[in-house]
Amino acid sequence: MHGIKRSRITPQAAEAKRVKEQSKIEAYLALQSDVLGRKRSKDLTTDSLGQTTKLLDLNPEFYTIWNFRRNILLTLFPTLSPDEVVAHLTSDLRLTTSYLLVHPKVYWIWNHRKWCLESVPDGPGESVKWKEEFWKGELKLVEKMLDADSRNFHAWDYRRYVLASLPTQRPLLDELKYTQSKIESNFSNFSAWHCRTKTLAAIWEKEHTSEIEIRKTKDQEFELVTQALWTDPNDQSGWLYHRWLVGSEPSLDILQREMKNIKDLYEVEPDSKWCINALAHYTLLLAKNSSTTSDDEEKLKSEAKNLYRRLEDVDPDRKNRYKDMGMSTPGSPIQLDQG
Amino acid sequence: MSSATASSSSNTKLDTALHVKYIQNLDKRQDLAYHLTSHLRLNGIYWGLTAAHIMGQPSTLDREGVIEYVLSCWDEDAGSFGPHPGHDGHILATLSGIQIMLMEDAIHRINLERVTKFLLDRINDDGSVSGDIWGEIDTRFTYICLSSLSLLGKLDEISSKKKQNIIEYIKKCKNFDGGFGRVPGAESHSGQVWVCTAALSILNRQDLIDIPLLGSWLSERQLPNGGLNGRPEKLEDVCYSWWCLASISIIGKLNWINKDKLINFILSAQDLEDGGIADRPGDWVDVFHTIFGLAGLSLLGYPGLEDIDPVYCMPAKLINRLGLQKPYATLERMTSYP
Repeated sequence: MHGIKRSRITPQAAEAKRVKEQSKIEAYLALQSDVLGRKRSKDLTTDSLGQTTKLLDLNPEFYTIWNFRRNILLTLFPTLSPDEVVAHLTSDLRLTTSYLLVHPKVYWIWNHRKWCLESVPDGPGESVKWKEEFWKGELKLVEKMLDADSRNFHAWDYRRYVLASLPTQRPLLDELKYTQSKIESNFSNFSAWHCRTKTLAAIWEKEHTSEIEIRKTKDQEFELVTQALWTDPNDQSGWLYHRWLVGSEPSLDILQREMKNIKDLYEVEPDSKWCINALAHYTLLLAKNSSTTSDDEEKLKSEAKNLYRRLEDVDPDRKNRYKDMGMSTPGSPIQLDQG
Repeated sequence: MSSATASSSSNTKLDTALHVKYIQNLDKRQDLAYHLTSHLRLNGIYWGLTAAHIMGQPSTLDREGVIEYVLSCWDEDAGSFGPHPGHDGHILATLSGIQIMLMEDAIHRINLERVTKFLLDRINDDGSVSGDIWGEIDTRFTYICLSSLSLLGKLDEISSKKKQNIIEYIKKCKNFDGGFGRVPGAESHSGQVWVCTAALSILNRQDLIDIPLLGSWLSERQLPNGGLNGRPEKLEDVCYSWWCLASISIIGKLNWINKDKLINFILSAQDLEDGGIADRPGDWVDVFHTIFGLAGLSLLGYPGLEDIDPVYCMPAKLINRLGLQKPYATLERMTSYP
């Protein structure tokens, strides 16, 4: 079981635990049998709804019960006023919030929330205020979840889903600010760096940003990530982002500037494998650059080879990778063996 | 990041007999936790049975009992398997049901036509795949759909147009680091990396994997204590000995990590009193980490274990007999360790 320390218990203690649990087990099984019986007999009533709540309180991972609950609600909704539907959805969102605070990684709870959100009717009256309010509330919830665990991928995925579904779209720049605040509170938060790559790419695509503007933004991004690299050169999050910024075909001046920056860091941190890795990779990119003469290309390749050789000593766990890398250039295919 | 207890046990061996016993006893301890996890029961049997196969003890569980149980999980309304009698059919349980029935040589006893239809119906127009009628989308379901149909010999019932859509969808889930996420836009995660590389492998589209880039990312999942994590700057966990290792095996780069350190990490997570393997040394064991620890050891060539297929997570002998083997590389089986 994830992250729960094993402890030895005596046979007597185990027996005592079993006896103590026995009444709980019996109550659980009785409730389960009641709810599954109602499901079998298609008893789609408010009474059954209450029973599903009791069972989900004990076991929010029981997805069949979530399905049954939705079938009950789908049966009830056409008989209710929009206000009553909204009241049901509000109470289900409250319920799932309380479960998520205890079980933040249970897929089925997140799924039920999505269903609730997507079931919010138009209104009140001619407005779509309900929808606006529900979705806005979701953004707050997901921020709370990410404050509790800033790497929870369920929450990040849900955040993207909520942002895409908001009836009134938020400017993408807001999301950029959000990732920045997450990154600045912890440079190690790769989830936030990842989100930043997607947000920037989306902004550039949506606004048909010119090369010059992209370049200006990237320069600012290089400044941000350089802070992260110097703060902890052993944290790979910033290095991955740096590599995304550089891309596969960087302009010569950016490549040279960044290589110089990394060399400065390398001088202070001669054993940082990430520093050497980045230098080796960028040296090979420079070798491929169209302005590089064939003499220089050979020289650069041999420099990269030396860096990979050094990595074999600095990071011996991955020495076979560095051997392979030293023999090839980036982008060249590595043969796949037949198993 | 490093755990003090992890790499201290280089003389520990794999206690196969104890782990077989652990699997046989899984159904005996019916405590509250057992009942609260019934939604994973069929998966649990698949994990236990596969673990038994890897340890060369395919008859560990009562064959007829297992088959009867699988059949009792059939959801007639959905045309698929649920994880336990009375539970709703879902693609997650359906793959386990198929895998168990194949291992028990009883696949003819399931309703092939209806299961095939259920699987084909899960494929959406945009190439994504849903887990059930409620529509949750995840690249895990893409893999499960392809793996199930392939195991049933029905892969060609997906039209070439739909296959192309599935491929395009997986491409959208690929990130700049070479990895894959749950849905387009999602962060790379070793579990999703495995389902996507294995899915592309089943579709013979390994060419869409950036091998040096993904291989580098996967090899960086190994931490100084030998264990693997699922994403950058996260803790190690024995289950990634499968998700990462199977992926790196599919791209032929198993030698890009330190084999001995990982073997020792997995071995140190064993419970040497009651059997089973935990997520980390000293934690409670469960059948999920037991199978993925053993499967990892098998890929690494640990002596005495049977070969496992990294694309299907099933005994390699069975996959080869079905004619489904894809290109991959494992490490040579050692005769002794250390």
